[in-house]
Amino acid sequence: MIYKTNEYLGYPDRISVPAGEQVKFQLSSKRPKVKVEVLRLRCGDVDANGPGFKYEIMASNIDGEHACLDQPIRPGSNAVIEHDGVLVPAAAHWSFGAYVYPTRIADNPRAVMGNWCQGSGRGYALELDEDGCPVLVLGRVEGGPVRFVLDVKLRERVWAFIACALDFGEASATVSLIVPADGVRPAAAHSQSFALPATLDVDSGLPFLIAAHHLNGDRQYTAHFDGKIEAPRILSRQLDAEQLRVFECGQRTGTTEAGLVAFWDFSNGISTLAIKDISPNCLHGGLHQLPRRGVTGFHWSGAVHDFRLSPREYAAIHFHSDDIYDCQWQTTCALDVPGDWRSGVYALRLTPASGDPDGQCESYVTFFVTPGRQTKRADLVVVASVGTYLAYANSALRLYQVHFETLMEHVLWLPLDDVFMQENPEIGQSTYDCHVDGSGRAYSSWLRPILNMRPRGYWFNLINDTHILDWLEEKGIAYDLITDVELDREGARALSPYRAMMTPTHPEYFSFNMMNAIMAYQNAGGRHISMGGNAFYWRCGFHPAAPAALEVRRGMAGTRTWESEPGEVHLAGTGEPGSLWRHSGFAPQKLVGVGFSAMINDTCGYYLRTAESEDRRVAFIFEGTGRHEKFGDFGFRYNGAVGSEIDRYDLELGTPRHALRIATSEGLGAGALPTPEEFRTVVDGLDGTQNALVRADMVFFETGNGGAVFATGSITYGMSLSHNSYDNNISTITLNVVNRFLDPRPIVMPAGA
Amino acid sequence: MDHTSDPNAMRYVIDPNRLDLVEEFRASPLGVHSPDLRKLLARMRWGRPEGRLVLIVLEPGKAWRLSRIPRRRGDPMPFVDDRVFTSLAEAEWHVFKLRWQEMTSVALPAEMLG
Repeated sequence: MIYKTNEYLGYPDRISVPAGEQVKFQLSSKRPKVKVEVLRLRCGDVDANGPGFKYEIMASNIDGEHACLDQPIRPGSNAVIEHDGVLVPAAAHWSFGAYVYPTRIADNPRAVMGNWCQGSGRGYALELDEDGCPVLVLGRVEGGPVRFVLDVKLRERVWAFIACALDFGEASATVSLIVPADGVRPAAAHSQSFALPATLDVDSGLPFLIAAHHLNGDRQYTAHFDGKIEAPRILSRQLDAEQLRVFECGQRTGTTEAGLVAFWDFSNGISTLAIKDISPNCLHGGLHQLPRRGVTGFHWSGAVHDFRLSPREYAAIHFHSDDIYDCQWQTTCALDVPGDWRSGVYALRLTPASGDPDGQCESYVTFFVTPGRQTKRADLVVVASVGTYLAYANSALRLYQVHFETLMEHVLWLPLDDVFMQENPEIGQSTYDCHVDGSGRAYSSWLRPILNMRPRGYWFNLINDTHILDWLEEKGIAYDLITDVELDREGARALSPYRAMMTPTHPEYFSFNMMNAIMAYQNAGGRHISMGGNAFYWRCGFHPAAPAALEVRRGMAGTRTWESEPGEVHLAGTGEPGSLWRHSGFAPQKLVGVGFSAMINDTCGYYLRTAESEDRRVAFIFEGTGRHEKFGDFGFRYNGAVGSEIDRYDLELGTPRHALRIATSEGLGAGALPTPEEFRTVVDGLDGTQNALVRADMVFFETGNGGAVFATGSITYGMSLSHNSYDNNISTITLNVVNRFLDPRPIVMPAGA
Repeated sequence: MDHTSDPNAMRYVIDPNRLDLVEEFRASPLGVHSPDLRKLLARMRWGRPEGRLVLIVLEPGKAWRLSRIPRRRGDPMPFVDDRVFTSLAEAEWHVFKLRWQEMTSVALPAEMLG
């Protein structure tokens, strides 16, 4: 049966909800009604070759039919400034302009600043037209707007200053462009004057906008700018463009600047969504749909790479016409999660209401239920990798990446969700993708539909993770589930009730709080079963002012599909350096003994035990298995427990000295290729057939106060658990580890460790 | 431009006389391949996404149909034809033949077109 998975779309207001609390769902459909059920997922994988789609239907207060609105997504970021009419040109002179760095000139005009309303045809604005020429747009009482075009094109990715001067006394307007010298190109200046018509209507009655026009009077915006804008300013004085450009905006004590109406200094509050006007009018504003701050401005010297050290060099904001933080849909239903529900991965199942039979139409909205404030805790907690789910949310790699088919080594298989993403790009893509202007996407939020975090969606990450939950259920192991968002918000307190924690197949994206929480937990006697690969890799952060958004900066190394612009590696939200944890002195090896080594693009491998595995400290792990068995030369989907992305032991990168490398991978081939930070010069012999660093290592080590860590170093490990009706050597050793880690007897660190 | 995002970064030229590589691929479209065939496949698989042949998964593990990546984001993404594949190997072979024709402008011998 071919399922229509996008007839209903939706998202929760909070990604995880403690039992006993409420979560609101925002749903949208062209169908007027929706039937809602709540499922607790055991295995979310619909592939008939795996363990099967397993779930429990939970009775809830939102079961049944709900009216459903067709709610649009309107992407595009901009700034909004309420001004009580102060920013309507009223004086004899009105001069305004800004530095701009357009990154996409195409298709339609792009607004820079103004209050222009496309719907009413009132207001004024400075924009770039579809060819990149600066345009002054002025509303008229009748006869439609006038557009004064300076017939000189700006170039993409070149800083320029554009300005307009209105002289109502002389009934003239001037549009100007100054392109400061850069590299071998000398400075250039262009200007053109126009006669003002008599019956202007420059008051749209709406807020002043930067980087967009008003579409209508309903706070909907259009003509979003793609690119950076810096230091927009307005003066009610006669100034030519160069005077306006070099106007001294620094505030001196006890002095005000005559005729200064507004000057927005974006270097102020880089980690916020507020923009500050440093004029005496205090026309502060706010940002809509999370444009990127902490980006280099016109005045960037290259001497610093951290905006916190020199904010003035980072006084630009990079706006995108396809930025999306919050769809802002109306709530369809609010689920009161009963206090006695088990924690876990949950999903709304959305199907047509009665009278609208369509068995093929089935959609999901995933959320996570965590233990209630009063809930008695299990001994084991699984920490779902929401950071990773967000980083990959609506990944369009299969659609738009040059290298992706070569990476996968087969004709790309696109789920129907990919077709939906191609045809509906407004849904927003992942932090692996690029904006329409070619710049990498730094933000991904859960306040929008996420197609690949659902049953019937692409399996990488969440669906693969449910194979581990399925195995825990099969083995009758009691567990709680929380997400790494709890680690980010609550730190080690989120883990302290538990004797052991388990991270699933791909916990790749970790914030400072998440890393420290796990380290503190392990050192306090906690036990950590690290089931995945490519784990604890990117240093990222949730944006403090947009807490549903993960922020990622790709840096200059690591396996990555885009690279940060020079000087733009620091996270705007927290200021800390993005890029790899390895480059912040906290490689994954330091936390769990292994860290990213390679991607497996072809055949998966298996593990063989090492001599170190004969140490009696790890005898418990291999009970019930043979000394020379191949561990995991089988598995669902990947056909091997060593695959996809793998991690290795390295003392120099922080693997504890007493860690035991108890097994290592075998059987990797030419399609096993190292991650770029694993070689410094390109030489022959990099692939898995020759390169000994291309491997997965299984490690064990004890931590302080009776704790321990076991790490598998491979993403595909979890998909081998169900092989042969859950009776196999990967299942056996995992169960041995779980049983010992849940046993309260201390695990003793060897002397001298 | 870096290697992985430059659509022109693969310089291998497909030799239309290397029918031995065609035979090797046909025998095992999803198998482990010789170094020469790996180069040929890397060249076939590389390039600008626009117009790239892809398989749309109708039913996971069961049924696929051929489509192409459209020129612009937002454009519709229709199927290329009516054919429904029930084997990935069969689909790989089909796409290989189409690409061979497209990239070499030389038709494969009739006995290979089946």
